[in-house]
Amino acid sequence: MAERTLFEKYGGFSKISKIVISFYDILLDNDEVGPFFDSVDMSRMVDHQTKFIASLLGGPASYTDNQLRQLHSHLCIKHVHFDELETVLKDALEKHNVAAEDVAVVVAEFGKRRPLIVR
Amino acid sequence: MTIEAINEQLLRAIGVGVALLNRETLQFGFRNDTFDEWFSGDTPLHHLQQLFPDLDADAVQKSLLETGRYSSEISFKKKRRTLVIALDFTVAHEDVLVLVCQNITRIKELESMIDSYSMMVERNTRELKREKEQVEKLLLNLMPRSVYEEYKTFGVVTPQLYDPVSVLMLDFVGFTEMVASQDPSVTVTELNDIYTAFDRIGEQFGCERIKTIGDAYITVAGLPDPTPDHAKAIANTAIRFVRYLNRRNLSHPHQWRCRIGLASGSVVGSVVGIQKYVYDIFGPAVNLASRLQEFSEPMQITVQDQVAHVLKEQFKLEEIGPKMIRGFGEQGVWRLADEN
Repeated sequence: MAERTLFEKYGGFSKISKIVISFYDILLDNDEVGPFFDSVDMSRMVDHQTKFIASLLGGPASYTDNQLRQLHSHLCIKHVHFDELETVLKDALEKHNVAAEDVAVVVAEFGKRRPLIVR
Repeated sequence: MTIEAINEQLLRAIGVGVALLNRETLQFGFRNDTFDEWFSGDTPLHHLQQLFPDLDADAVQKSLLETGRYSSEISFKKKRRTLVIALDFTVAHEDVLVLVCQNITRIKELESMIDSYSMMVERNTRELKREKEQVEKLLLNLMPRSVYEEYKTFGVVTPQLYDPVSVLMLDFVGFTEMVASQDPSVTVTELNDIYTAFDRIGEQFGCERIKTIGDAYITVAGLPDPTPDHAKAIANTAIRFVRYLNRRNLSHPHQWRCRIGLASGSVVGSVVGIQKYVYDIFGPAVNLASRLQEFSEPMQITVQDQVAHVLKEQFKLEEIGPKMIRGFGEQGVWRLADEN
């Protein structure tokens, strides 16, 4: 039997959707990383966040390293932005009572992508 | 505080945007706090069309005249968030228009999220389906479809007796030397081509290929669906195997020559093994076909006495005479020839 993903552990899409919405809200209000989304329209942005959270928690989305690199290649993302997004992610997870050790797993998973995104 | 004052305070504070307009001129008369919070910029605008330039004033008036109502949606950016507001106009008095605005941003965001998620799930479902088909295809190569259906439904396969069936056993002459003397990968590629052709020929006559063991190829007629013509089907298949090899040898540097044995009788078919399962058949017909094959000269087909009597009417058969067969005693043996 395959190991249960965090996505399943935290109740599948019905619960994860609340994390996505919180993440979206916190992110939009954040003036450090929010501006990256200034010109992105709403449905694309929600789509982006849904896939982002799902892929980090082992849901039905996954990106290859190459895709991630390509999708972010037009953005000038620095380490400080990446750090800030990590905080936003942590906040959204903690707000929905994700256990500390699971937050650590997700953040570590997120951290692995740093070299693909930051330049 | 008067009732009017309380009413006005309530109207100002609720989370729904409310405005009153002059029906003729579409000038604002009253706007509550929520409305102002959403729509008022630095300079207050007094006319509906100044505030919502995209709104079609003629359409609004026409709808109000016909039904007394008009609904629309507008979206705009507030800081970097896209707000979506539903507008609902109602005629209250002859000359007063009530505009009620609801913030449906969250609904729209959730709709987008459901779209996004369902697309992911649908894509995954398609991938799973493709994978399942691959697995099914693989398993159908290992066992007959009816056996696969049984395996899928119950997780096990009950051994089943098939009686009578006809078994064809084919073996290549000098295969071991061929593998040793030539590039083995070329030999195996050619063997694969030949087996594929055999599978197609067998299929035409309703034969089920059971397995190949190296250079031995076993196929059966009358399994899993019984057929009265199993002996004829196997004879036709055998003749075409030889024809195919003869024709192939004309145009290929490697010469493939086979011996074939045909026997009828009963077999038991079942899936053997738990982790690495194969579908296999067991029984006297299998063993006899294997022994008879050994009596064949290259490119010849040796046939059991009983089968020969069934085939005599339609096929050309030569009697070889009685032979001692290990495990079966003395039996009459025949040679099946190709009339063409």
